[in-house]
Amino acid sequence: MCYNTHMNIIETSRRKFLQGSVSLCIYATSALSSPWQTTKTSNKKTTDTPYLCNMCRNKCAGYARVENGLITKLNPNHNFPKSRNMLCPKGNAGIQAIYDEDRLKYPLIRIGNRGDGQYKRATWDEAYEYIKEKLVKIIDEQKDNRSTIAYCNGEGFNKDEYIKFFGSKLGSANFLDEGSICLNTKLGATQLTIGDVGEMDVAGSDYMIISGANRYESLITPDSVDMIHSKQKLVVLDPRCTVTAIKADEYLPLYPGTDLAFCLSMMYIAFKEELYDKKYVNEQFDDFEKLKAHILSQKYTPEWAESKTHIPSQKIEKITREFFAASNPLYYLGRRSVWSQNDFQLRRAMVLINALAGSVNRKGGIIFGQPIKLNDEEINEPLYNNAEGRFDLDGIVYGSQKGGSWLNFREKVVSKTAPYPVKAMFIRKHNLMQNMPNIAKTKKMLEMMDLVVVLDTMPSDTAMMADVILPECTYLEREDMVVSFNRLEPSLALRNQVIESLYESRSMQDILKGLGKKLSVPLFHVSAKYDEDLQDSIKEDGLHKAFVEGGYDMAELYGYNTTQRNKRLITKQFGKEVYNSLKEKGVWYPYMDEQKELFNDFYEYYPPEKRFYTIDKKYRVNAYLKKLEKAGFDAMPTWHKYYDFNLHEDEFRVITGRYVTTTQSATANNVMLKDFEKENYLWINNNNAKRLGIKTGDSVVVMSSVSSIVIKANPTNKIAPNVLWIPHGFGIDSQEMTNAYAKGASDNMIIEDKFEKIYGCATMHETNVTLRKL
Amino acid sequence: MARYGMALDYKNCINCKACEVACKEENGVELGAEKHRIWVGGNNPEGAWPLLDMASASFLPSQCQQCDDAPCQEVCPTHATYYDENGVVRVDADKCILCSYCMNACPYDARYVDERTMTVDKCTFCSDTRLARGETTTACQNTCPTKVRTFGDLDDPESEISELLRTRDHFSLKAHLGTKPKLFYLT
Ligand code: SF4
Ligand code: SF4
Ligand code: SF4
Repeated sequence: MCYNTHMNIIETSRRKFLQGSVSLCIYATSALSSPWQTTKTSNKKTTDTPYLCNMCRNKCAGYARVENGLITKLNPNHNFPKSRNMLCPKGNAGIQAIYDEDRLKYPLIRIGNRGDGQYKRATWDEAYEYIKEKLVKIIDEQKDNRSTIAYCNGEGFNKDEYIKFFGSKLGSANFLDEGSICLNTKLGATQLTIGDVGEMDVAGSDYMIISGANRYESLITPDSVDMIHSKQKLVVLDPRCTVTAIKADEYLPLYPGTDLAFCLSMMYIAFKEELYDKKYVNEQFDDFEKLKAHILSQKYTPEWAESKTHIPSQKIEKITREFFAASNPLYYLGRRSVWSQNDFQLRRAMVLINALAGSVNRKGGIIFGQPIKLNDEEINEPLYNNAEGRFDLDGIVYGSQKGGSWLNFREKVVSKTAPYPVKAMFIRKHNLMQNMPNIAKTKKMLEMMDLVVVLDTMPSDTAMMADVILPECTYLEREDMVVSFNRLEPSLALRNQVIESLYESRSMQDILKGLGKKLSVPLFHVSAKYDEDLQDSIKEDGLHKAFVEGGYDMAELYGYNTTQRNKRLITKQFGKEVYNSLKEKGVWYPYMDEQKELFNDFYEYYPPEKRFYTIDKKYRVNAYLKKLEKAGFDAMPTWHKYYDFNLHEDEFRVITGRYVTTTQSATANNVMLKDFEKENYLWINNNNAKRLGIKTGDSVVVMSSVSSIVIKANPTNKIAPNVLWIPHGFGIDSQEMTNAYAKGASDNMIIEDKFEKIYGCATMHETNVTLRKL
Repeated sequence: MARYGMALDYKNCINCKACEVACKEENGVELGAEKHRIWVGGNNPEGAWPLLDMASASFLPSQCQQCDDAPCQEVCPTHATYYDENGVVRVDADKCILCSYCMNACPYDARYVDERTMTVDKCTFCSDTRLARGETTTACQNTCPTKVRTFGDLDDPESEISELLRTRDHFSLKAHLGTKPKLFYLT
């Protein structure tokens, strides 16, 4: 990106800056009183361990420095194409997550009421035993319907293995993950429109439009880094003037939920002025004429779009013309939380705009690339005749068969409209009590369970709802299975173990191994009671053979530890050299020896001619989705009146996002990161605030149809009138999180639990609220 | 022996604060928002939504400017503040008596009190940590996602920083004070 003007008036005084900043000036008066302190690194050389960060979903590569058994510093690993030799503030503050005094240290069994935080310390065996007794009873009562046990996971690493354990081995169909409260509409829209979820080649693009995605505060590697280094023109649409907007060449402020109107108008102009790539369209599009006729007949003119978005029509025209005139334009598809009911068609419109420009399967567009395929570790899966199917996708047109729909699931459980009762939940690194709209409803769901087991590193709000808490070790205390990353410059990366696990925490693998050993036989006997096929095979082969050959040993995968499994898997598929590279450098990719420093510790990874910009692949661009039409939805992106941003003077629309120093609620207790944002501040337009007599730091009550919160205000000119921004990841209710407890407020307390029906995704930006000064 | 300096391509700064955290972890800086050697200042855009003057918004990473003519060193009564062999302005914890003259003398507000060592401390260019181990980068330079900082020897004409300062325009903060900073802001 390029920068427009040179700044003359620059604030250089730190003290003055502190006074002028909402969040920082608050801490200046209250020193943090954590027992943990930073440790200065010594002047001695050390051999550092390559690891992968886990403070957010990016998994940047780093080297950990250990002195006297203590991790004293985390540094970026320059070998990894994906993370481009950087660690963000959260990555650097990972040390404080490991040595957090509030960490879960031992297995705990609840002795008080759910949510009141009273637990007794237990041994691992006592915890497993407790789980076993409850589970045997539940599954017996449910006549071996294994799907009565729901399980969920919010962490990228080890997810597939977790699914193998509870899905394949235990036999439940009810797996839920973060996709339906994050990005499934985008993945689905891309998959259904061009046949693949693809990857965006930000570095290769010379003109990029971003809607809402705040890439400089919600960092995504390599996108965020590539945006700064590439010379592309960057256009940002957002109701909020984010850092990304500040860094853009052109910032287009607009009303929330109206990005689709902008996209429709871009298409209108492209059709009207024939700006699209005719050759590409002829070769790849299905139903092009239908799309064209639809967009033109709906009259999505720039003037129309101005009336919806507030972006001047000439601007829309200018941007559209520039976009289609660029060599490698990219409409960035974004990632997280679905915003509103139109989200699936919004993401589809973005994909279609890219396709109209020919920006698919080529440099600077949505590329298909060539990810490195890792062989699967095969296991023997039992068949459970009495296990029923999932129900959370009932009434959803597509939906993710893998991660399902959280809000539909919760709704059906709470309203008792599910086809069978869900009696137990296993929750791993997934803070349900903070991560989805309408916290009261999540609480209700968990209260309905006979058994809640939480695997986590921190005593989160969700952990406080558990009957049994199993302390998992953090990412620096374990080796994880090798992972394949990216498509344009594909690589393998390995998270090596840096230190022994602290306290009595265990890796997920060890936890599942222990659970498997404890549960396999007793649960097998429950099946033997109800499952006629199993009864037959027991009769035929005897108990032992039926158990072994039927795949009922739940710990089957854990005959070897992770290090042994990695060695076997990697050496067998790729050879010893690749394995050694992963152990020593944490990374492997084919052209590692040719890695070039471009400048100042910034590298070129794959030689340009070796990158997978374009691959030989047959695919069609589906402009029209018949299945949607049949289900009574729009087959093509369409505007509806109820998408309009139309509020009463005293009504406000809530939108969410996060600070650069927070990853959802996972970093809430991090003592280092708390120095930057101790609590969250509500952004409110300064003119709105003035009218309501609200000043910086004033407490305000924000009320929705669901609940209300009290939060401090930050009146600013950087947000649209009648829009409120609540940074996510605050308002923690668990008193065990001593740095985070009751600091700020949780957005999900007041966000209404609506979801769209194409993917069953929570629509996070559709709640209207009122507010008053406290 | 070298003469260390730093060039900052400050327009690439996204105010992510990675450098601040890396500095604290590397150099064992105390926790607490007021305890820091390095920070990012800046200006918000002026105007009213949606007519914001984006050109008026900026981020400016800052820290001790490593003055060649350092007011802090001049006023220190015990000579706790000194130039090391690489031209880096350092503080000798044993000699510092917390008189805070340096804090007042520094025009860049670059000093803070470390209550564990009882020193008025400041950025050291990681001299007693990374550089002492033979590393060639500072913690802030190394971690920065957008590689804002170039660190190196100003006396070495071959160094990346010398090359940058030859080929790009740059300015110093409060140049009129004659402190001769060794931090250079690239335009
Ligand atoms: S972006 Fe930051 S938190 Fe996320 S993986 Fe990378 S270093 Fe870690
Ligand atoms: S790490 Fe780099 S981009 Fe981030 S605040 Fe520091 S100088 Fe700016
Ligand atoms: S910036 Fe301040 S602390 Fe640093 S050398 Fe100059 S006067 Fe001393």
